[in-house]
Amino acid sequence: MTMGTTIFGKKNNSPTNAAVNPRISDNLLKTRNYFNQLKFRLGIGVLACFIIPHALLSFYFHFQFTAALKKTGKLNMQALAKSQRNTVDLFLREREMNLRNLFYTRDFTPAPKEDKMLFYLQNLNHHSDAFVDVGFLNGQGIQTGYAGPFPNLLGKDYKHEAWFTTLVAQKKDYVITDIHLGFRNKPHFTIAVKQTVSESLCIMRATIDPDKFYMFLRSIGKGKEMETTLVNARGTYQLVDPLKANLLETSRYLPPKDMSAGIYEIHDENGTMLTAHAWLMETHWALVISQPLKIIHAQMYKTRNMMMVNLALITLFLALVIWITVSRLMNRAQKIAEQSHQLQTQLIHASKLASVGELATGVAHEINNPLAIITSTTGVVRDMLNPEFNLDSRPEAILGELDTIESAAFRASGITRQLLDFGRKNEPRKGLHDINEILENVVIGVKKHRFNLADIELVKNYAPQLPKIRIDADQISQVFLNLLNNAEDAISESGTITISTSREKDQVITMIQDTGDGMPPDQVKEIFTPFYTTKEAGKGTGLGLSISLGIINSMGGTIEVQSLPGRGSLFTISLPAGTPDFNDSNDNNNKGGEG
Amino acid sequence: MKILLVDDEELFRIAVAKQLAVRGHTVHEAGTGEEGLAMACDLSLDVVLLDMRLPGMNGTATLKEMKRVSPLTEIIMLTGHATVKAAMEAINMGAFDYMTKPMGINELIYKMEDAYTKKRLTKQQLKVTTTPVNNR
Repeated sequence: MTMGTTIFGKKNNSPTNAAVNPRISDNLLKTRNYFNQLKFRLGIGVLACFIIPHALLSFYFHFQFTAALKKTGKLNMQALAKSQRNTVDLFLREREMNLRNLFYTRDFTPAPKEDKMLFYLQNLNHHSDAFVDVGFLNGQGIQTGYAGPFPNLLGKDYKHEAWFTTLVAQKKDYVITDIHLGFRNKPHFTIAVKQTVSESLCIMRATIDPDKFYMFLRSIGKGKEMETTLVNARGTYQLVDPLKANLLETSRYLPPKDMSAGIYEIHDENGTMLTAHAWLMETHWALVISQPLKIIHAQMYKTRNMMMVNLALITLFLALVIWITVSRLMNRAQKIAEQSHQLQTQLIHASKLASVGELATGVAHEINNPLAIITSTTGVVRDMLNPEFNLDSRPEAILGELDTIESAAFRASGITRQLLDFGRKNEPRKGLHDINEILENVVIGVKKHRFNLADIELVKNYAPQLPKIRIDADQISQVFLNLLNNAEDAISESGTITISTSREKDQVITMIQDTGDGMPPDQVKEIFTPFYTTKEAGKGTGLGLSISLGIINSMGGTIEVQSLPGRGSLFTISLPAGTPDFNDSNDNNNKGGEG
Repeated sequence: MKILLVDDEELFRIAVAKQLAVRGHTVHEAGTGEEGLAMACDLSLDVVLLDMRLPGMNGTATLKEMKRVSPLTEIIMLTGHATVKAAMEAINMGAFDYMTKPMGINELIYKMEDAYTKKRLTKQQLKVTTTPVNNR
């Protein structure tokens, strides 16, 4: 046979003491405050759960994207510089080929006439309008043939010109000069090609207009606010935007000569510029392109701004959705909690009604009995005064009957007074109480109304000098009443109910033991469930123990149940000896009122 | 009528017994169910007034036993609390009727006379049915 033992823990969160109690509104206010705080915390928590990973991911991807975009921007710039360098190289190579091809025209002679030179110029201009003029030089450097806008150059001696001496001395058969003023005193480039014809050195020379060359350079350049320049190894501008600088001036930026191509960030008064260079193959020039960093990164900034707007919008949207969801959820939970408060109130009220109902049956019997004595004895007096019956009607005899009536009336009034006392105890009040006194009061009431008719022995083992504890005497009485009623109901024929009190450390223990039917373990688990009852229909409401558990929990105590089928049950109530004041607001009033 | 009054309220018993006695009835008193049952066995009773709530053997159990040992005796249940259900149960178990306390003496006597009439009729009917057919 197994013994069912269950301890019902202290301070559960179930609302208690709501019935006829000014703390109802306090409890409801506390519940509302709790749910408001919970709503706020839950809302912030859930929002943070959504937003923080989203923000972290967004920032991570933003930085990754930024780094990739910056790298890509530099690579693009460098590739553009190289590409334009190749185009300029090709342009110069083409111009050199145009000039060289003149040696291979059908009726070329080492001493071309004027009309021939005009033909050559037309031929060159046919390929490119950058050609300004064309000249033919003999091995001594004398320009023997010329066509172009400077006819005074015909017959000029070029043998002391740097490009002429270089061309004659070098193995390579052509030369492209840096920009220079020359005999015409105007900036221009010179391309010259040498050829040996009939064992004599012949040189074909043409000049390139820097403006036309710059137009070509502009035509291959692309990009907003992008500057393209050509500088030589000394940093002198070969081609430059006339609005920014003049030809033959020295550039502030000299590309490193040891790197065929490179890219740098250069800070100046206009902000940071991304500058790329690439050295040409045909001449010692570097093509330099530069663009403001803010233009290059404009897309990146746009994306970042869009991302921030996106994050803000998502945050707002999520906040709204979460707020609505959490509000709905919390409102529902709050409603349920409030309903639970109300249900608890109703439970306690129902329990009281049930107690009153059970009491009423006993009270009716107790009052009707003296009333029956009164009516019957009145009948006796009436018979005595009736001459027909010829009874002893002396005043002494009648007084004897009146005494009986009076004593019965007092008995009825005593029962009424007890009933009123019981009713008054139901009003909530609390303070320092002796548990033995409370038990004794309950026992007197129960014994009077119930135990006197049944064959039940009541044994009381009260521990002397128990400390007074701060409890609600009404509510604890209700608990004891419930337990004693249950104990009496559990005893079907005859038995013993033992009530003991003791102190263990900081606990005051009350034990109510019966020798009744007992309960199996499965039943023990259920007895504190509201509306669970083992009594026959109409005898129990199933509320007593659930209410009792709520009351004891609210006082910081526990109820322990031990039961053995066929042997009886033991209910052990432990209450803290130093029970904290669970309603400070009423404390002073109680102290004053209890006397 | 020969009446037995079973009730744990002595003052009630005395008052009712006095009233019945002056009206020419023979009244016996008992304070418990067991006592009442013993008297029912010994005395040839017409009507028993039996309280529902008794210490020890309660009213219902006493009724059951009493009807077993003295089937012709009519029993009127007395109840201090107006739970009709318990009284109806008693009627189903063989009680003649029930009355709620307090009650007037005339009301009680009317009820007892009805019970006594029923007892007499039952007794006559029993005599008729137990008479052998060939003797008529």
